[in-house]
Amino acid sequence: MTELRTPPVDQDGFPAEAASEQSRPAPATAHGAGDWLRWAWRQLTSMRIALILLFLLALGSIPGSMLPQEGVDPGGVAQYYKSHPSLAPFLNHLGLFNVFAAPWFAAIYLLLFTSLVGCVVPRTFRLAGSARARPPRAPRHLNKLPQSAEYSTALAPEPALEVASRVLAGHGFRLRQEGDWISSEKGYLREAGNLLFHLALLGVLISVALGGLFGYKADRLLVEKGTFANTTSDLDVFRPGRLVTGTGLPPFTITLDKFNASYISSGPQQGQPAAFDAHVTYTAHPGGPSRTFDIQVNHPLNIDGANVYLIGHGYAPVFRVTDARGHVVYDQATAFLNGSAANLLSQGVIKATDAQPEQLGFSGVFVPTAIDVSGTLASIFPAPDRPMVSLIAYVGDLGMNSGISQSIYQLDTTRMHQLTASPQLLQPGQTLHLPGGRGSITFVGVQQWASLAITHDPGQVPALICGMAALAGLLLSFLVRRRRVFVRVRGSVVQVGGLARTDASGGFEAEFASLAAELKSAHQRESSQQDTETE
Amino acid sequence: MPVNLALGHVSNDFLIAALVIYSLAVLTFAGDFAFGRPRRAVVAVTAAKQPALATVGAAAGTSSADAGQDKTAADSMPELAVPALRALFQADAWVRAAMALSAAAVVAHAVAVVTRGLAVHRAPWGNMYEFLTALTCFAAIFFLGVMVRYRAWSLGVFVMGAVVITLGLTETLIFTPAGDLVPALQSYWLSIHVTAMTVATGVFFVSTVLGVVYLVVDRYNRRAAAGRPVPSNGIVRRLPTLEQLDRLAYRTVVFGFPIWTFGVIAGAIWADQAWGRYWGWDPVETWAFITWVIYAAFLHARATAGWRGRRAHYVQLLGFASLTFNILVVQIFIAGLHSYAGVN
Repeated sequence: MTELRTPPVDQDGFPAEAASEQSRPAPATAHGAGDWLRWAWRQLTSMRIALILLFLLALGSIPGSMLPQEGVDPGGVAQYYKSHPSLAPFLNHLGLFNVFAAPWFAAIYLLLFTSLVGCVVPRTFRLAGSARARPPRAPRHLNKLPQSAEYSTALAPEPALEVASRVLAGHGFRLRQEGDWISSEKGYLREAGNLLFHLALLGVLISVALGGLFGYKADRLLVEKGTFANTTSDLDVFRPGRLVTGTGLPPFTITLDKFNASYISSGPQQGQPAAFDAHVTYTAHPGGPSRTFDIQVNHPLNIDGANVYLIGHGYAPVFRVTDARGHVVYDQATAFLNGSAANLLSQGVIKATDAQPEQLGFSGVFVPTAIDVSGTLASIFPAPDRPMVSLIAYVGDLGMNSGISQSIYQLDTTRMHQLTASPQLLQPGQTLHLPGGRGSITFVGVQQWASLAITHDPGQVPALICGMAALAGLLLSFLVRRRRVFVRVRGSVVQVGGLARTDASGGFEAEFASLAAELKSAHQRESSQQDTETE
Repeated sequence: MPVNLALGHVSNDFLIAALVIYSLAVLTFAGDFAFGRPRRAVVAVTAAKQPALATVGAAAGTSSADAGQDKTAADSMPELAVPALRALFQADAWVRAAMALSAAAVVAHAVAVVTRGLAVHRAPWGNMYEFLTALTCFAAIFFLGVMVRYRAWSLGVFVMGAVVITLGLTETLIFTPAGDLVPALQSYWLSIHVTAMTVATGVFFVSTVLGVVYLVVDRYNRRAAAGRPVPSNGIVRRLPTLEQLDRLAYRTVVFGFPIWTFGVIAGAIWADQAWGRYWGWDPVETWAFITWVIYAAFLHARATAGWRGRRAHYVQLLGFASLTFNILVVQIFIAGLHSYAGVN
């Protein structure tokens, strides 16, 4: 990014690293629109504006971490609407529930990247130019440079310069020799690294956009022994990128054979999970061979460019419901969800839509290891050591035909009435007979469920490559020093001078001292060789 | 493998020992200020021509022109650097004692961190207590190296003092016994991502203390220049010059920034493996990003007219403030995927 009010050449005769334009006052009103545009462009690509945009970017990110965000925590947003009914719509209007997709946030980073491009591209050309140009002329007084050395040699000026240029070339310096001096320069990789860093950041932004356009995310809850196919209709949640239709998803199917969770059973960390394993069988495409895989939290399954992650787990108690006629109208494992309650105390509902003469519904609480704490059911351990369900039965119209879609985790009891006054407790194998001969419900047993996330992000690998390139560029620009070393031979005196950009990572003093020592000893060696030859 | 509780106790004992020795080191550094030979600290980081590489007692920034004029045809070769350790052995007795105590404290601290790791069979930075213990250890090791290399021992009282305060608060407020990790943290990426973040935080910890010292010296100098009364207790005169402090702080940030960048990238790779996306604006991710942006702003500010010096160092302190906020507020109080602090 360009630096304001710095002359293009600094006091050491070094082209200032980032100086290209100097700030000029805003054009007077008499000038045309072109002047204004040029002025605006110069402002935008100035370091000062880039700095302000960086601060705005940091500042703008803050609400994204303090307020619940649509993309991360939609439930939190709904909760915020409930608790702050007057403030929430206003915040929503400002895009504060979706900061990182908000137009104003995009405006900040797009301006920042425009500023970056406007600064980096001209610098790339300048670097290309300076890498072709010869090093500058040697200054008249080398002993006035920040680093200098002086010694006498028995060599004539011509061979002395030749020896010096050999030494400097051996260290990778680019040389220019004229008259009685050599000028040499090294360390162009510093500026190259700086450019690489900034361009790679642009690459990261493009990679993220690529993922947003062509990637997708999906969720699927799967009870043990359950199977699903990777189609939009069979997924619980499908969030496609802007340009994804959902017809071309990889056609794999996954069966959850067994889910294992183990917990620490004693000590201060009692109840903390120790391991989760989702043992699955999958086929990559219909009719293909089936393979098995153990999906763990840090160990996703990759099928055809889509990754399948284990992101959640819970219990699915199995219930069998019979209606008033004695027909079994419900017999399946039902996923119960764990909110924030301790030790996997979970809630769920059972909807027996086929029950006659009236539909039956149950809302329940599942407790993996139950104890009675002064009349309230609590869970003391997350493993199903003493499983128990507590049920409230309803009869009436479940409202499934009302046309309004219903969550399978919620019971609409507006047109139902409660059959049992208090929650009824059941252990595995126990049956609750409903009053009035309306049927019964049996708590058969308990299975587990796993929640899987399926994602595909074509920007992933480019983002990684760009991230590594940015890091490499950063290291180059911090580790490499741009420096110049001059040698002048006047009569029998060799003068060596050197300078480096002071912002560099330091240590040029030591490098110069050893280089000067090396030059001196090379000159001594050469002159003593000449002596032996003449003898 | 079960947690080795006996080794966990060994770790705790070493940490207490480290805390005591650090405190003694800080007292000795302070003793150098009170009773040591008066001298200006020499920090060998300036590029200007000066005998910074060698002699103690030279004023910084000797005019290069003067030094150059006297030269005759006789050889004048730049001196090769005095080895840092030899310079240390030639230093004042108070300095040598303080450095020896600091080194002993760092060793005890490192033993505490390593035995903790052996006790729990993983990288010992899996919760807030372990993280703060390890980051102060990295800060102390890093600063010990800086003090030796740049002969910056007059800064020891500030950095080691900050280490003592942080470590003391960690030990008394959030001590957590050795234990296992939740499945989300059971990955070799813990040793990559969290290590990088811990080291970078330790380095930024040092640069922050240097930045504070810079601002104090700057304020003192401006008051003195304005003719306002200033305390004449000689502390500031013993500190490195403003320019040297600026360079040292800058180089420290330059050292930490790529490590932080690497830590963020490693975190993104891990997030991709554990959660199915490399970046999801989780609160902790957001604040790591904010911290990164602010330190980037510091690096740019130093190259912008009107922002060098004091303003740039305020930016640097802002960066560390956001880092601290991330560790102490976001990770503990704001719900997110990174809620591993284990602090109740």
